[in-house]
Order: sequence, then structure tokens, then C-alpha cells
Amino acid sequence: MVHRRPAPLGLCVVAAPRTVQRPPGRHRRLLGGRHEVSAGSLRLDWRGWFLIGLAVGAALFALIAGGPDFHGYGWLTDTFSSGAVIGLILLASGVLIGYGAKTSGGCTSGNGLSGNSLLSPASLVATATFFAVAIAVSFAIEALI
Amino acid sequence: MSTREKLAGLAIGAVFGAVLSWSGMSSPEVLRDGLLFRSPYLYEFFAAALLTGQPVGWRPERPQRRHVVGSALFGVGWGVADACPGPIVTQVGQGIPYALFTIAGVVSGVLLYHRREAQAGARDVEATPQPAESRQVYAGS
Repeated sequence: MVHRRPAPLGLCVVAAPRTVQRPPGRHRRLLGGRHEVSAGSLRLDWRGWFLIGLAVGAALFALIAGGPDFHGYGWLTDTFSSGAVIGLILLASGVLIGYGAKTSGGCTSGNGLSGNSLLSPASLVATATFFAVAIAVSFAIEALI
Repeated sequence: MSTREKLAGLAIGAVFGAVLSWSGMSSPEVLRDGLLFRSPYLYEFFAAALLTGQPVGWRPERPQRRHVVGSALFGVGWGVADACPGPIVTQVGQGIPYALFTIAGVVSGVLLYHRREAQAGARDVEATPQPAESRQVYAGS
């Protein structure tokens, strides 16, 4: 497997972040109650279409490449034989990813790429934090398994 | 929201999804090799994207507590699942069954966030008048 083709990515990074980030203060101001919040986040604006495009692009890739880019699921399938255990771990990780990205106003695309390319201090702090934590977690897992 | 904007979103998303898959960023093993410093690829990837990227709709912001707290939580999930939001969606697109668990978690996390925000908002309204704009924009842009 060759993984050495990063160059054109930056051009698409432009839009990615808007799917997962919006400052909390603003939400609170624009959307008063709980019901409005859920109705607002279900409306399919260009970010919703972007999200669909993301999956469609990946599906096209798998179609052309003749299958997904990887098999198994990394250290999880190497370590656990139970699919239920792996599923639960991924579900819990997903909750942290979703809640954390919303709280910090961006993920690896939003803060990591968009914010950092503007040298936004908040994004630099966020990126340093999630990289440091993820690296520490990875080494901790490596030590335990 | 015009059809043109929606189509643009779809097209940019499709290119981003294909490139994330093509570059190997949807693979948990590629991510883990980067986080364990076994390969410089993850960092080269970030550098290449940063050098060529042109963000739209972003403004520099002052760091706040939420950036550290949120990113720390995010980092734990990222380090365990070895996938972040974009790649999780491309995993689903590629037909990786395990990614359905991760994406269900992400959706739950986002909903939980909105719920807590709405509750906090309701409390704020009761307690004090809301400031006109609570987002702090970094002045030195």
C-alpha cells in the first residue's frame, strides 16, 4: 500500500470544518430552545450536502480502487476478538469525538487545518492539545496491549 | 440556500472524501503509525494541507478554556478510534461496518452537546441578560 499522495488535499480542506464547528455562544444566541436546536441541525444546507459528498467521494474511491483502503480495524481488531467490544469502544470514542469537537469549535480539519492556516491562536492551542492527548493515549494503549 | 451552493457543497465534499480515502487518512493503521511516531506521513500530510489550504469562513480567535477541554476529549476519542470526523464519514462511504459505531457515537456526542448548550442557554436567560455576541474574536488578525 502506498500512502504518499497528500498534495491536493488543502484545496478541499476549505469547506470541511464547517460541518462540525460553530462557536457555542452563537448557537445559544441564535437558537433559543432545545427544539429549535434540533430542528436547525437537521436542516440540510450546503454543509449537509458536503457531508453527503464526503461519503459519496469515499464510495467512488472504494469502487475505483476495488475495495476499501484498509481491512480489519487497526489495534482494535488485533487486540479484541469480540465485535461487540470493538463496537462499544468505537461508540464511546465517537461520543468523545463529537462532543469534544463541538466544544472546542473544530476537529482535526477545522482547528487542525483551517484554523491553523490562519494562525488562529485558539486553533493552535486546540491542535497542540488534541495531538498531545492522542499521542499519549496511543502510547498508553501500546504499553497496555 | 441556492441549488448552486448545495451542489458546490456536494462536489467539494466528494473531492475531499475521495482524497481523504486515497491519501490513506481513513485508515486507522496510518493514523496510529503517525501518533506512535512510527511514520512521519501524518505530519507531512498536515503540513502539505496547511501549505495549500485556503480556509473560508474562519476567523482567528483567542484561545478559551473550551478549546483545551474540548480538544482533550476529542484527542482521547481520536487516539482510541484512530479516526477523526472526516475520515469516519469516508470509512462509512467505503463500506467499513465498524465505522457505523463510531459515527453513531459522533452523532450522539453532537446531540449531547446541543442539549447541554440549550440547557445552559435557558439558564443564562433566566439569570442575566445575554451579551450581544459571546464569541470572542481575536483582534490581532
